[in-house]
Formats: sequence, C-alpha cells, structure tokens
Amino acid sequence: MSVELADVVVAQPATIEEAVALAADAGARYVAGGTDLIVNMRRGVTTAARLVDISGIAALKTIVVEANGAVIGGGVEIARLVGHDGIARLFPVIAQAAVTIAAPAHRNVATVGGNLCLDTRCIYYNQSEWWRRSNGWCLKNRGDTCHVAPRGERCHAAFSGDLAPALLALDAEVEIAGSAGRRRMPLRDLYVEDGKAHLTLAPGELLVCVRVTRKMDAFAYEKIRQRGAIDYPLAGVAVGLTMRERRIADLRIGLTGLASYPFLAAGLENLVGREVDDDLLKEIDRAVQRQAQPMRTTLAAAHYRRLAAAAVARRLVARLAA
Amino acid sequence: MTIVYEARTGRHGVPLIDGVDKVTGRALYTADLDRAGALVGVILRSPVAHAEIIRVDTSKARALDGVAAVLTGADCRVAYGVLPIAMNEYPLARDRVRYRGEPVAAVAAIDETTAQRALELIEIEYRELPAYFESTDARAPDAVLLHDNKPGNVEREVHHDFGDLDAGFAAADLVREHRVCCAEINHAQIEPHACLAEFDPSSGRLTVQDVSQVVYYLHLMLARCLEMDEAQIRVIKPFVGGGFGARVEVLNFEIVTAMLARAAGGKVFMQLTREETFLTHRSRPQTDVVLKLGMRKDGRFTACACEVTQRGGAYAGYGVVTILYAGALLQGIYDIPAIKYDGYRVYANLPPCGAMRGHGGVNTRFAFETLVDKMARELGLDPFAVRRANLLRAPTQTMNGLMVQSYGLAECLDAVERASGWKERFGRMPAGKALGMACSHYVSGSAKPIHFTGEPHAVIHLKLDHDGGVTALTGAADIGQGSSTMVAIAVAETLGVGLDRIRVVSSDTAITPKDNGAYSSRITFMVGNAAIAAAQNLKMLLVEAAAKKLESAPEEIVCDGGVFRVGQGGQAALSFKEVVSAALIDEGAISVKGSFTCPVEFQGGKHRGGAVGSTMGFSYAAQVVETSVDDATGQVSVDKVWVALDCGRAINPLAVAGQIEGSVWMGMGQALCEETRYLDGLAAHASFLDYRMPTIVESPAIEAFIVESKDPNGPFGAKEASEGALAGFPPALVSAIGHAIGVDLLELPATPDRLLEAIGKRRQKAAAAARKQRAAS
Repeated sequence: MSVELADVVVAQPATIEEAVALAADAGARYVAGGTDLIVNMRRGVTTAARLVDISGIAALKTIVVEANGAVIGGGVEIARLVGHDGIARLFPVIAQAAVTIAAPAHRNVATVGGNLCLDTRCIYYNQSEWWRRSNGWCLKNRGDTCHVAPRGERCHAAFSGDLAPALLALDAEVEIAGSAGRRRMPLRDLYVEDGKAHLTLAPGELLVCVRVTRKMDAFAYEKIRQRGAIDYPLAGVAVGLTMRERRIADLRIGLTGLASYPFLAAGLENLVGREVDDDLLKEIDRAVQRQAQPMRTTLAAAHYRRLAAAAVARRLVARLAA
Repeated sequence: MTIVYEARTGRHGVPLIDGVDKVTGRALYTADLDRAGALVGVILRSPVAHAEIIRVDTSKARALDGVAAVLTGADCRVAYGVLPIAMNEYPLARDRVRYRGEPVAAVAAIDETTAQRALELIEIEYRELPAYFESTDARAPDAVLLHDNKPGNVEREVHHDFGDLDAGFAAADLVREHRVCCAEINHAQIEPHACLAEFDPSSGRLTVQDVSQVVYYLHLMLARCLEMDEAQIRVIKPFVGGGFGARVEVLNFEIVTAMLARAAGGKVFMQLTREETFLTHRSRPQTDVVLKLGMRKDGRFTACACEVTQRGGAYAGYGVVTILYAGALLQGIYDIPAIKYDGYRVYANLPPCGAMRGHGGVNTRFAFETLVDKMARELGLDPFAVRRANLLRAPTQTMNGLMVQSYGLAECLDAVERASGWKERFGRMPAGKALGMACSHYVSGSAKPIHFTGEPHAVIHLKLDHDGGVTALTGAADIGQGSSTMVAIAVAETLGVGLDRIRVVSSDTAITPKDNGAYSSRITFMVGNAAIAAAQNLKMLLVEAAAKKLESAPEEIVCDGGVFRVGQGGQAALSFKEVVSAALIDEGAISVKGSFTCPVEFQGGKHRGGAVGSTMGFSYAAQVVETSVDDATGQVSVDKVWVALDCGRAINPLAVAGQIEGSVWMGMGQALCEETRYLDGLAAHASFLDYRMPTIVESPAIEAFIVESKDPNGPFGAKEASEGALAGFPPALVSAIGHAIGVDLLELPATPDRLLEAIGKRRQKAAAAARKQRAAS
C-alpha cells in the first residue's frame, strides 16, 4: 500500500521545442501542476520514466486578449483564468467554469492544458494498487475487463474536465506541438469516446494553446457535484445561446462528466427559430437525457447524473433566454 | 460565526493550553517523533472478503536483504478485543480472513521500498467462502457463519421491554411507523493512524508511542497479545490529530507494530495510508431502524417500539455496546410511558464497525425525531410544542434505570426557538426553503467501566515542589477535545491560582496514573471531579501550612487569588510561594491525589445490558436548521444552524462552543454527504475525494448557545459538551427538507441522487393518484 513514488527523472525545458524533444522518448510524460498526474503515479495507474516539467516554459503561460477573441496558453494556471480581467469581460463562462475546478490550492498550480487533457476517471480505476489488484485490475489498467460494463468492449471511464464543455460551446481551437511541428484543430477533434485513450494526441504531442472567438451572445456553465469544492463533476453543462427577436438563433450545449469525452449535444440546430417556452425546454431536457448516457463510474448513481444534467441544461437555457 | 456564550455565562473561557503549540507546528504528533534508526513496518492485507487461509509461505520475504522481521497469524496466539466478553480478533488473521483489507502478514525492513517488496514475496493461498455485505444476506438461514459461536451471524440480540406497550399504543390518537436506513460512516480524523514501537532486547522492555485515545487499554492489550508482563510496557500518547472514536479500542496495527519491534529487536515505525486508515474503520455502522410511535392529540407520547439492525462488520469490537446504546438512549430525553426495543448486531464481511461520536444513539435519534416531526405535521402541532409536551422533570430515574439529575432541555428549546425566529418564520418561508428542528442528548461518561477492576473511575496526581508550580499528572487522553486544559482549569480554580502555575502531563503510563481514556465523553465529568478532589487535598495541606505560619487555625484561613489570610480581609497575608515554602519544610516535594468513582446507583438498570447508557448526567441539545433545496438537481444547502447545549456548566466556554460547533458539523457531514461505499466488499470510499466530508463551502454559520443546568454531581456542575449536539442535526435537516419540498427522506445521507429519486417517486405517486381520480370521475 505504498505511497512512495518510484524514481523518476525530471527534465525542465525552457522552450516548447526543447520540451517536445525531451518528450519524444517512450515513457516520457508532460507534467505542469501535477495535481492529477502525481496522484495517479502514486496510485500506480500512471507510470513515467521521465517527467518533462513544462511549468517553466514562458511561451505556454500567456493569455492574449484581442478585440473579439483570446489565446490562452496551455500552461496558464486555472487560478489566473478565474481572476483575469480580459477573460472576465469577453468570456465570463471560462472563468465561471475555472472557479469550479477542485479547490483554490489546486487551481494555483493546475493548468488549462492539464484540465483539457485530464485523464478519465472511474471508481474502478482511481484506486490504490492493492485495491485494483484485489479487484482483478481493469480494462484501463493492466486488465481485460471493464467492471462498469463487463460485457462491453471498451473502457467507460468518464472525462471530468470542467473547461472543455465551455470551450466546446465557444467553438475553441487548440494548437498542438509535436516532433512533426505545429498543427491546429477544433477542440472537439482532441477527443474520442474511449475511456482508455480519449485524446487524439500522438505520443509526445503538447497542447500549446487554446483560441476562442466570441461568436454567440450569452454563455453559462453549471457543475453538478456533491460538495461545493474539490469534487469532480458528476455532470457539467455549458450553454451558449444567441437570441434574435426572442427566437433562438444559435444554441450549443457542451457536456462533461457524462461520457469518456466532453461533447456538444447534437441536433440543436433544429431548435433555431424557436421561442424558449416550456415545450422547448422539455425538448432540451429530453435531448440531453437521450444523449447523456453516463455509466456507473462514480459512487453517485449514473441515472442521477443524467437527470441532473438535463435539469441544468434546461435551467441554463431558460436563464440565458430571459 | 456567532458564538453566543459570553453573554449567558458571563465568562469567555481560555484558549486550549496546547493551542499555540499546535498552530505553530511545535506540537509533535506520532509521525513527527524522532524515528532515527527505526525500521519501517508495513501490513499485507487480504484481497478477498471471506476465505480460509490454506497456505502461507514467507520464506522468500524473509530471505530478502534488509528485511528484519516477518509476521503472520501464526505469530499471533492470543485474540483481542475491547470488550472482555467479545475478544474474537487476532492482530493478523489466523486460519480465516473475514474482510477485504484484513491484515494477514506484516514486515519490518530497513526502508519502505524493501518492506513493500517483501510483502510482494509473501505467498498466501486462500479458499474462498461466501461473503455477505448486507445484514439481510448475512442473516439468511443458509448463510455461512463468520464466527462459529454466533448462529445467524448475529453478534448480539437485545430485547428490552419497559412499561405497558399495548396500553400505550391503545391510548394514542395517532400511531405511525417508519423505516429508515442510515449509511455507514467513518470518523475521517485528519491524522492517519501511526505507531512507533521500540523493544529493548537487553531489558525486555517495550515502549509504544501511538495515536490511541485509550492508552490504558492499549497497555493491557499489548501485554495480552505479546504475552508480556504489564510492568515491562510503557505507552505514551503524543499529540493526537483527532479521534472521534476511531482510536477508542485497540487497533490491529498498534499490536502488529509492537510485535514487529520485538521480533526485530529494535524500533519500528508504521504509518498507515489514508486507505488503510479507512480500512481499520471501527465507526458508525449502517443501521436500519423501524420505529413506531404513539401520540395523543396534545402531542404526548404514549408508546414507542423500535427495532434496530446494525451491520457491524467482521469482528465484535464495541458491537455489543453499540447495539445496547441504540436502545438505551431512546430514554433519558423525553417522558415516554412505554418502550420496547429489539436490537440485532449482525456480522458481515466488511471492516469492523465501532464507536463514533454519539456512539449508538445517533441513528435511532434520527428515526425518532423525524417521525415525531411527521406526526406533529399530521396532528397540526408545532414541533417545539410536541417536545415541550414530553419533557422530563429532574431529578428522575428512567424506566431502564438511568438517572437524570439535571435537565436543561426546556431552556435549550427556548433559546433556539427565539434565535431562529421560529414562531415568525416556520411554515412561512419561500418555496424550497424551510426550517427544521430536533433534540438530542448524550451521556457524560459510561458509569460502568468496560474493564471492571474495582478501582476508581478516575485518578489525578498533583505534584508541588520548590518552584511553586503544580504539575497535574493525568492519564486522560487529550485528543484535541481540550481535556488537559479542563484539568488545568479545574486545579487552578480549586486552588485559587492562575493557570500559569499549572502544568499538565498526560498519557504516559510510566508517569501518569491510569485512566480509562477518552471515550463516552467521560473525562470532564470523571477526571474533572478527580482533579477537583486532588486540588482540594493539596489546598488542605497549603491551608495547614499557612495556618501554622500565621499562628492560626486552618479553619480560620481564607485563600483568595493565591493569597492566604487569617479571616476575610485579614492583615497578615502570605503569598502562594510563601505558603508553598512553608508547606515543604520537613516534607519536601508534595504529591497528592484525588479520585472519582461513580456511585453504584448510577451504574444502570438491573436488566441484562443495563449498564450501557448509565451515566452520572446527560447533556441535552436542541437545534434548528435552515435549508434550501433545489428540487431540479436534489442539491441541499444548509444556510444556518442555531444550537443550544445544556452542558451543566461550561468550565471553559470557549472550548465548549468549539465542541458544540464540531459536533453540529460532524452531524452535518453524516446528514449531507458522508458515507462509506463498498464494491463487493472493497472500500471504494477510502480517500478524502470519495469520502465526502463537508468543505468550508458547505459549512453554515452556527450560532451556539450554552445552557447551564448545574448538575449536582458534575465538576463545578458540568456535564459533557462534545457529543450531545451531534444527533440532532440529521433529523433537523431532513425535517427541514420535508418542510421545504414535501419529500420525507428515509435515508441518510441526503445526497442529491437520493433526494432526486425521492422527488421522482413523489411525482410518480402524485401522477398515479391524479390518473386514478380522472378515471373515477
């Protein structure tokens, strides 16, 4: 029942290029705040022969606010998002989501890149070595059975980052650095629905920054959790809404904590042109319930997460439309 | 946070005498002790819930470089347990394991890595047996027995019947019954378990420093399990980071660390991980309560029938006491003419339960107070009026032989009713918001000790020497509750000197007199009385010395503010130091002692199990909780708490207020979010991420009121102050939720998923009723 970390080499590059070069070896992992990674290493679910500490790379830590957009470095600490004037002015929903993450001490060191690339979580996975061994391991780590869905083929561990749904609703783009150079893609393409491999990053690739442009009028994020601090989301819902003449012109609903990846609710374009009335809110409730199919990856009932996500989506749409 | 005590008591109280040491980091906890040269001790735990141990091979582990000792159940010949009648546990499992996480082997090695590698090399073969994780499964007729001498997997059945139950229910205008289920919880004390043990092969002596709340019991059990003479053992309690009952019985890792130290012939340090600390458990069991109550239209109780089933885990521990408390504490708070109690303590393949703050009484109090609230609603009565209709009149003796000498519940009710604006606000709040209230009580120490020896319940030694300083030696374990400060105040007040003259040395069995320990809120009452007795004995010597020096008679001497005079306002005066010098002539350093014994008439009823619940005095509490409920997501927030506690007299109001807040807060944790969860017997909650204690965000303002009923036998009139206010919180909150959204939750904790399910059920029921009505019309 060890809590001691195995020996690990820590490299501290000063530039993105150095970092990418250092991370090219198999067994290397990026670390910034370490609030997720180190806990997982202590529990033995993540191993690393080398940690590439990117917390000293200045180029990853900038927030650039433009007239109608912002570029947020992957190494920006969550606490800086919470208190940033430009972000608060243009994208209050980002600050709203950021302040729900973990607790103040975590937010001081945890980063945007870390939260977007957060490992998926499951009650059968985030346990000690002794626990997992006693349970016959699991599909995500050393085993061949997913205890959440033993007859299934894949791992159902849930993605639990709070920033992603808001950034998905904002149509954010991410910039990635790797040994082959830089590339850009929509944030949604960063994820696939597989709890064991939910990121599309190639080995050694690094999330450099997130770009957001303000395209819609109103946004909000609400997180369902048992306690008002520390807890990961049982469900997280971000809503973006633009109304024209009291009718929906654009509506997006980003969801987290409900599947192995964060995702935008599909089919909402059919609601464009509608008034926000009871019938519409019921449709939203049903749409979220249909698309959010959480599995038993938390101690709270999966059914609850689905119902609460739908209730919150409905409430946020009503609030933003009012 | 508002603390309303100064105005009522006229006293503010003093910070704890060790408070500065704690907040500055000077205080040394077990893990801070000098462990230079100590080996690292680790425990191998069972991966299976129920199995016979077929084969154990430790040869590879023993052969590993750096390994100093390897122990298994074969090295543990003697069973232990906190109750002399139920010692059925071995420090390391022998022949059979009964829960996932049970210790099966242990290693001492030069470092953690080596010790862990040695654990990997131990081979154990198990033959699995059926395992039971719920009381009903364990009690099934064909269930395999966890302990061969306990048929039906029932550790103890209790059947108590007081008064005429049938007549009581017949006299009622309303009879209602409900079934509630309270989840198992854990103490979640912040300091993980740790032990430092040193065995000196040359002298054969063992010294153990440890997180225990019960230093004396640890001393006894070490002697028993290591088959050593008690005189060869010394147990020291350093600073302890929270107990709440977690360390109120001797724990396996404590004995194992000592055994490793002896086997290795040296010093062994063991610190359990948070997960292991959770697995060691000994906390409040999952409890099913079926409660039936008879009430007259005026709110008077006529009868109460209560059935309690506790899922006690794999070993006995305190189980017999817990199941007895659950019934005994139905009494001593209200006047109920007839009470029937049936209790079942059940074995299951889970970590053993034990005592936790509010031991035994909390879950039955939840069932009782919430049913009273519902019945009051049905009869159109105010919840306060119902409580007032059923108050006891002290002094009195309950049907089960419990003595009530002081009773401040009426004043507690008045205080929180007024402060919360109950009369103006109850039933008139906006949608989703409401008030709820409940009462509770607790014992001031068990009047019958667990190990009956005929010795006093508490002994204090005082030493006075040339420096004029008084050293109080007490075995009472200060675990953060402030007992050492209480001892200092009791001695200083009795002697009439300042606190700066008193030093308290506690919990070192080589120095301090034996004390039964920090449990059942016994210390203030028992040790406080012993401290006063000791100080009176010392004062007598000083008065005699002053009289001799002032050429007067002892009865003429008046001592005030540390100055001794002949008669009130007498001219000739001696300072404390002068009197001490006079007293030391021909005598040298002075040692006196004081003791306290609970008289036999306080030691409970004559019925079987009647000693449990017996006490010199009960504390009483009333509280009002204000809540807001979001019925779309089931999320509950606690907006404000008003709580009043009758603690007899607040010896240190500042510490009492802290204890009231702490117990309310702990009750809130159980009510709102804390619960253990097992997946096929594996503890899935064993971290502070998944065992959800409230954070500061959930913590409401608590307005605490101290009520002083002046108990005739308490030290300065004091009773306990640390547990009484806990049990009222869960029912007050759940009643408030009921008033807020019309959903009567029958489970604890009131988590959002449970609440949303209850709301959903209510909606379905309402829809079905509407359909039926439409069909009929």
